Order: sequence, then structure tokens, then C-alpha cells
Amino acid sequence: MKGWKKDLIALAVVAFLIALLCVGTKFQSVDDYYLTHIDDITPESETVFLSIECKTVLNNYDDLDEALKEEKYVPKDGVILPRTEYVLRNGDTVFDILDRAVRYNKIQMEYRGASENAYGSAYIRGINFLYEFSCGPLSGWTYRVNGEFPNYGCSKYRLSDGDVVEWLYTCDLGRDLDMDMYESVR
Amino acid sequence: MKAFDNFHPVAPFLYFAAVIFVTMFTTHPILLGVSFACAVFTCGMITGAKKTLKSLLYALPVMIVIALTNPLFSHNGVTILFYLNGNPVTKEAVLYGVDISVMITSVFYWFKSYHAVMSGDKFVCLFGSVAPKLALLLSMTLGFLPKLKRKYREIDDAQKALGIYSRKGYLDKIRSKIRVLGILVTCGLESSVETADSMRARGYGLKGRTSYSVFRFTFADAAFVFFTVALTAVICFLAYKGAADFRFYPTVKEINFGLESAALYLSALLLSAAGIFCEIKENTVWRLLKSKI
Repeated sequence: MKGWKKDLIALAVVAFLIALLCVGTKFQSVDDYYLTHIDDITPESETVFLSIECKTVLNNYDDLDEALKEEKYVPKDGVILPRTEYVLRNGDTVFDILDRAVRYNKIQMEYRGASENAYGSAYIRGINFLYEFSCGPLSGWTYRVNGEFPNYGCSKYRLSDGDVVEWLYTCDLGRDLDMDMYESVR
Repeated sequence: MKAFDNFHPVAPFLYFAAVIFVTMFTTHPILLGVSFACAVFTCGMITGAKKTLKSLLYALPVMIVIALTNPLFSHNGVTILFYLNGNPVTKEAVLYGVDISVMITSVFYWFKSYHAVMSGDKFVCLFGSVAPKLALLLSMTLGFLPKLKRKYREIDDAQKALGIYSRKGYLDKIRSKIRVLGILVTCGLESSVETADSMRARGYGLKGRTSYSVFRFTFADAAFVFFTVALTAVICFLAYKGAADFRFYPTVKEINFGLESAALYLSALLLSAAGIFCEIKENTVWRLLKSKI
């Protein structure tokens, strides 16, 4: 075979791989990302409650990253999103509800996808610029459903009607939130 | 490349260690910018301006790739450009990427100059008596790439002369290059074993064996070492006091031009440009002496 023909084939393969990569990637503009409309609550619809709080930071304010010591990152009362009712779609997990809520309320959120870690679940790295390790080495986001801390990832927890989801920031691996995980392990 | 050759190896070794240390442990854009400019200039004076400009052509695309890779993995920052798979791509992350790419390239250029100045004999002179095995190993590994490069050209030429080197298409060319690389690796392994054997046969590293060194520690060396150490100490002290603090997330901090920060920038500039000063001084002296002949 002629040299240039082989080159052409190689070029086509590379172009195909790049195209494949682009197809698997979703680009969105800022306006597209933030939902302007969320499902209306009707009497028949199933709903859950969601809140996002970082009250523990207020007790450990000295440990907080200097850059984040502002009211727009850590509100005075520690409530980033007050308890709100959201429509539960069929098969929604805790992650889905959080994702929809932060988009609707234009709150910044970063996560590691389920395919990017060993636990097979999405991991919330930061909400409202408050990241893991932003307030001491044992800090990060965790969640509670109906007053209990599930021992697995947020994109694996299926919600049902009337559940109360709380996203809470801990500065001490959950001990400051009375997580009883440690007693049960012992 | 004259000034550094006149120094005792301790002076350039300490100097490069200091500038690389300062560059690697800061994210402050001004410090990195100063370090980058001086690194490129120093490299240009030591290894040749044309060669350095040519290498910048390769370095720039690498810098761009590094700068664009960071926002793919780091999504912090308030200025959102667009969303990628549900995670934000932010201006702050791009700027941080640029910052890091400048840091990596300046360290690369410092090492380039370091390598041109600190030849194997200088390195062995410094550490040959303290840690003979380590010194030989390091000088061998550091000398490996230039040696491989030379060897690569030789093998390449030989393959071309033999007529088994394809020049028809890009893919065939790459295949030929891979064959050359295979030969190169074999050669490299063989030569490293031979070097070890040969050095052992000479009794290298035996107890009581002294090594000859042509270098003398003069007053100029002492002055240069003192200058380097003093400036590094000043920079470390100011950085400890917080003058070198900088942050990119969630908002990029404004660059501080207070007294302490200005002192920090000035000392970093003096330290980074010391090599250039020495070269310029040496070149002028050389020219003056030549004109008298």
C-alpha cells in the first residue's frame, strides 16, 4: 500500500477517536445549566424536602479557609438552602434532587461522577464554594435522610414520598453532627 | 557560558537549587513570571539564544495543554464559562492552569541551564567523596538523555544509510522511528552496565581513594554563595510572613504591592537574574580584554 494511503487511514482513526470523545461529553452554557423552570407541586405529586446547611463551620470559624470568610460563602445562620419542598420524579436519588435544586437556586456545586471513583456513586466535593477540606482536614459534605446518615453514596439512595433530605457540612468527619457511625463500628 | 564555568561547582549548584526551590514552592504569579523570564534568559545566555527560542516553540504548546487540562479536573471558581458534563468550567481554574504551566516551564528551563553548567565531573567533584555511589548514579542518569540523543542520531543515520528507513508516509516513518528507539534502549542498557563495570575496575568509591579536582574555592565563589543564601533566606522569611500568599479559588486574589510584597518581588528578581548578571559581566570583561590584544 502507498504511504499516503496509510497516513489517511491513521488520520481517520484519530479523527474518529476525537469525535467519540466529544460525543461522550456534554457541553452546556451557563443559562442552559441553570433550570429556569422546576416541576410544579400538584396535590397528586410525590415530594421530598431538601435543605443545605453548614452550621458546623460557624463553630470552627478559625479553621475556615481565609478566602471563604465572607457572608456569601458561609451565611451568618449557616443555612445555604432553607428547607424546601421539591417534586420527586420516579427513580430519583438524593443526588438527582440536589442537582436539580442547586441548578434551580443557582448554587455552585461540584461533584465527582459515579464512574470516577471506586464506590460507584457520585461524590459531592463542594457546594457554594465550600469544599472538602475547606474547614480543617476532616471537613466535607455529608447527607442525612429522615434524621439518619445512610452509609453509602448519594447517587445510590433512592428516595420515596415525604423523605427529608439534609445536606450538612461537617468539620470533624461527622462527629460534630452526632453521626453514630463510629459507635456501630466499635 | 563562561561565568558559571569559572565558579567552583558549589556556587552554581546552590544557585540553581535555590531558584528551583523558590519557583517550585510558590503560586504567586509575579514570582513565577519573574522566574520564568529569568529562566528563559539564563538558558538563552548559557545554551545559545537560537536554541532557546526554538525550544520555546515546543514549550508553548505544552504550556497551553497544561493550562487547559486544569479546568477539566478542577471546577472551583466563581466565574463560570460553561458546563462540562454537569460540572462548571471556570475562569479561575484556567488562570490557575496558566500559573502552573508557567511554573513547570520555568523549572524546566532552570534545569536546562543547570544541566549545561553542571557537567558530570563537577557533580562527582561535589558528591564523589561523600556519597560515591549516589554521585555516580546521579551523574549517569543526568547525563543519560543528552547521550541518548547523540546515540539516537547515530542510529538514525546508520538506518538511513542501510536503506531500511522508510520515508514514504507518516505512519511508515513512525514505525521506522520505533525500530530506532528499540535499538537505542538496548544500547543504553548495555552502556550503563559497561560503565558500572568499568568504574568498578578503576576502583571508584574504594576506601582511601582520593579524586583529583581542578576546582578551587575562591573569594568570588564565597561571595556568590553568600549572595544566593542571603537572598533565599530573605525570600523564605518574607514568604513565611505571608507576602507570597496567593489564591485562585473561589476568586482570584488581587496582587499585593505593599512594602513586604515589593521587597519579595525585588529579592526574587535579584536572585533569578544573578546568573544573567554574571554572564553579562563575564562577557564584557572578555570583550575588553580582547580589544587590548
